[in-house]
Amino acid sequence: MLSLQHISKFYQAGGTRNFVINDISLEVEAGEFISIMGPSGSGKSTLLNIIGMLDEPSSGYHYFAGETVHQLKDKQRSALYKKFIGFVFQAYHLIDELTVYENIETPLIYQDFKSAERKAMVADMLDRFQIVGKKDLFPAQLSGGQQQLVGIARALIAGPKLLLADEPTGNLNSKQGEEIMQLFKKLNKEDGVTIIQVTHSEKNAEYGSRIINLLDGRIESSKQL
Amino acid sequence: MIKNYLKTAWRFLLQNKLTSLISLTGLAIGVGCFLLLSTYIMNELRYDRFNDKADRIVRLVQHIKSTNNNEEIINAITPSAPVPVFKQALPEIADGARIFNYSGYKPATVQYSDKLFNERNILMADESFFKIFSFDFLEGNSLTAFNQINSVVISASTAKKYFGNDDPIGKILKVNNVNSMLITGVIKDVPAYSQIKFDLIGNYAMLSRSKTRKWDSANDYSYFLLKPGTKVKSAEQKINAYTDNLFKNDGDKDHRLQFTLEPLTRVHLYSKANDNLVPAGNIRDIYILSSVALILLLLACVNFLNLFSAKSIERAHEVGVRKVMGALRGQLFIQFLTEAAIITLCAIMTGTMLAWLIFPWFSNLIGHQLGFQTWDINVLVLLLIGIFVSVTLLAGTYPSLYLSAFKAIIILRGKSGGNAGNSTLRKSLVVFQFAVSVFFIIGTIVAAGQMDYIQHLDTGVNRSNVIVLDIGGASYNKIQALRTALIQQPDIKNVSASYDSPVNIAGGYTIDKAEGATGNLNMMVTGIPVERNFINTLGIKLIAGNDFTLGDEQRVLDTNYQKRVYSFILNESAVKSLGWKPNDAIGKQISMNGRQGEIRGVASDFNFASLHQKITPIAIFPEYDYFGKLLVKVSGKDMLNTTNGIERDWKSFFPDSPFDMHFLDQEYDELYQNDQRASDILIVFAFITIFLSCLGLFGLVIFSTRQRTREIGIRKVLGASITSILGIISWDFLRLVGLAIIISSPIAYYAMSKWLQGFVYRINMQWWVFVLAGSVAMLIAFITISFQSVKAAIANPVKSLRNE
Repeated sequence: MLSLQHISKFYQAGGTRNFVINDISLEVEAGEFISIMGPSGSGKSTLLNIIGMLDEPSSGYHYFAGETVHQLKDKQRSALYKKFIGFVFQAYHLIDELTVYENIETPLIYQDFKSAERKAMVADMLDRFQIVGKKDLFPAQLSGGQQQLVGIARALIAGPKLLLADEPTGNLNSKQGEEIMQLFKKLNKEDGVTIIQVTHSEKNAEYGSRIINLLDGRIESSKQL
Repeated sequence: MIKNYLKTAWRFLLQNKLTSLISLTGLAIGVGCFLLLSTYIMNELRYDRFNDKADRIVRLVQHIKSTNNNEEIINAITPSAPVPVFKQALPEIADGARIFNYSGYKPATVQYSDKLFNERNILMADESFFKIFSFDFLEGNSLTAFNQINSVVISASTAKKYFGNDDPIGKILKVNNVNSMLITGVIKDVPAYSQIKFDLIGNYAMLSRSKTRKWDSANDYSYFLLKPGTKVKSAEQKINAYTDNLFKNDGDKDHRLQFTLEPLTRVHLYSKANDNLVPAGNIRDIYILSSVALILLLLACVNFLNLFSAKSIERAHEVGVRKVMGALRGQLFIQFLTEAAIITLCAIMTGTMLAWLIFPWFSNLIGHQLGFQTWDINVLVLLLIGIFVSVTLLAGTYPSLYLSAFKAIIILRGKSGGNAGNSTLRKSLVVFQFAVSVFFIIGTIVAAGQMDYIQHLDTGVNRSNVIVLDIGGASYNKIQALRTALIQQPDIKNVSASYDSPVNIAGGYTIDKAEGATGNLNMMVTGIPVERNFINTLGIKLIAGNDFTLGDEQRVLDTNYQKRVYSFILNESAVKSLGWKPNDAIGKQISMNGRQGEIRGVASDFNFASLHQKITPIAIFPEYDYFGKLLVKVSGKDMLNTTNGIERDWKSFFPDSPFDMHFLDQEYDELYQNDQRASDILIVFAFITIFLSCLGLFGLVIFSTRQRTREIGIRKVLGASITSILGIISWDFLRLVGLAIIISSPIAYYAMSKWLQGFVYRINMQWWVFVLAGSVAMLIAFITISFQSVKAAIANPVKSLRNE
């Protein structure tokens, strides 16, 4: 479903180029569950952001769902991204001023769903994640695990084909982390959502079907589980 | 989608109560002030336009050039002839009416059965008055209002005052004990925005001069109604052609009487004529006030803009998340603009309320009765919508553009907003705000200094403890009897009388002969007939000769003018103009408008008119034909008892006139009413601008300390003291205030010099005024900054660095 070819990302610092991503090529098939690992500064998050179209590579070719991403205009890219990708963050990134319900609803608003449709979809999602009772609470009133649950619900609300997760358990204790990972696994297996996650934890990485190790902006190793 | 925007916006505003409140307060005050000032401006601009025929009505003014200095004097007071003569002779003129300000010189006493009032707004007008001007009749009508020779039309509130709920039509009012006026009509109270204001208006035919057509004595205002389609200029040319022919034998053409016409709707703001019926406005003031109104609104917008972008660091996260959720920049822009619109809307509602509450006080301050009723409701609504749209765009566009441009990726990496936006813009705005504040602070200090100077300047007349009674027209015998009675009272030091107010002497005379002077002497002097104790009562200093004596009094009491022998006290300037040393002048013979006599004394120069004017020659002389003012010098001890005593004596001698006393100080202060008003208005603006600027500064400091949390944290970890951090933050802003002071001082200096130039007797602007104004601004700014900077400086660095 997605293909990166000779992707690089660098910053000009004086006369030299500092490579964050150095000539990475990567093919991802629908239904995969990939864990990206590597030490700090190895370029994991940048790679994820490029895949998620939040960041642009300095060079290389990027294809996604049959589209040539590197040739698209901002608006088209945004439209493509809205339709196919959901994002989960380490710091949850919920909007503090909105309730659980409204946070989950937000992506639908930007995708022009009608009010009645939105209501049904959000209700479904609340039900599925068993957080109906919390729908009128604000993020600050929830535990970290619950907030991440809301974050995932929000990422999934518009039915994305690809879920990108940047250290989704990084701020959680191990029990909460495990629950999230179980959820990811279930999403991948039962709903066929393609998942790419960045993680520090070997244990979490092993929930996936493939582990990619980055070092200094290059793919050091890749192993199929 | 809009519902969602509104919801978020509303919640965000509620969650940020402090900044929302600041934005709202600032904007509301800005809007409130704008509404007040624009109401005033609106009122000035609509003057006289309520007259249906306003576009055809003109006022006649006369131009005279005096022979000694060739200065042209334009006067609104005209002779009695032009109206009847031009109306008859010139086909361009459809109608005309003379108006005489009956109570202009002194209030008239008006009596109905047991009700007795002093009326200050009585006019006399020609029969066609109500056919030219549009006043709404509640009873009677415009066609028949003046069909009796002694008709009078009164205003609704005057009717209420005299008759309560009774029908006033057909009732007789006794005016000044001589005229019996028959009420033939009641009109709605004259609008505040009319140049012709009256409570009672009588038939001009009651005046003895109504039958005559005189060109040489001016007492009346002349208004004409032009025929439809007649140009003012062409009517004016016809008039000039007519008078040129009429006066062709009257000497030098340059110094003949000339007339011009002023369109009614331009009289109030553009006329340069003296002695208007009601004090004229000034188009320059309108421009100044319009700028002030806009500047205040702008200041408030600046605050809003600054605070809104100050908050953007917190909003940055939301922007990032929303963008990841698929929001387009345009959508976010609209969202933030909606927020701005909500605040603006609340501010406009609050501001309108504020204006509504302040209107009575404001009316008082500027001396006009104003309110929302001043507006045509449609215009007001349009104005409010205009304010809403322009403030929303002005204050909301920049922060919305700026906020919506945040890159999701940068924010979500955990760093704060990164780029702080255009801080030069924000800083310039703060400089602008403080420059305006400093301007008004300087203005306030200078104006207050000048007003204080006026209050305390020794004008050469001892005004303190002088009670004034208006006695216009009373016979001298009665006055003398009252004087004799009063002087018995232990707390009354002296009693005198004079023609007009000793602080505002207006009589114009000419000294045409002086002993030893050769040739054709024609010296203009101010003159005032007085009772002989005048000099003594007012403590005017003599530098040569003596005060008037009983003998001087007796020599001018003769009813046969030819037999009178006058005595004069001249001031130093007058003696100097005549070419004498003070001591030489004593005993010299002079003649002034037919009054022959000898110079008795020379007074040191004293101010007998407002300090806007130079001291010019004046002649004080006993003459007992007419006194307008009774002057009672009291000890100042036990005032209540003293004034009760005066009232008792007054009642016994003048049972038909209401007792109406005031102090000479009040008459003096009245001369500076406009200046005092300007000074008051400056103070108000100074407070408002300072307040608005501080709000803005406060917002910027919040912004800056948030931005610099990390820097402050690191500095503290490295051992910086709280004071040094306070210094770092404060310096950043006080620098801006300093720049504002530098920019503002010369502008304020220039503007206030202009204002002071209106006074002949004035203070000099000292350097300390600017230092003081600057220090005040600095201090206020520093206190404002401290609210936030102290918080930032004492914050635990561990907290601020943990988020890294």
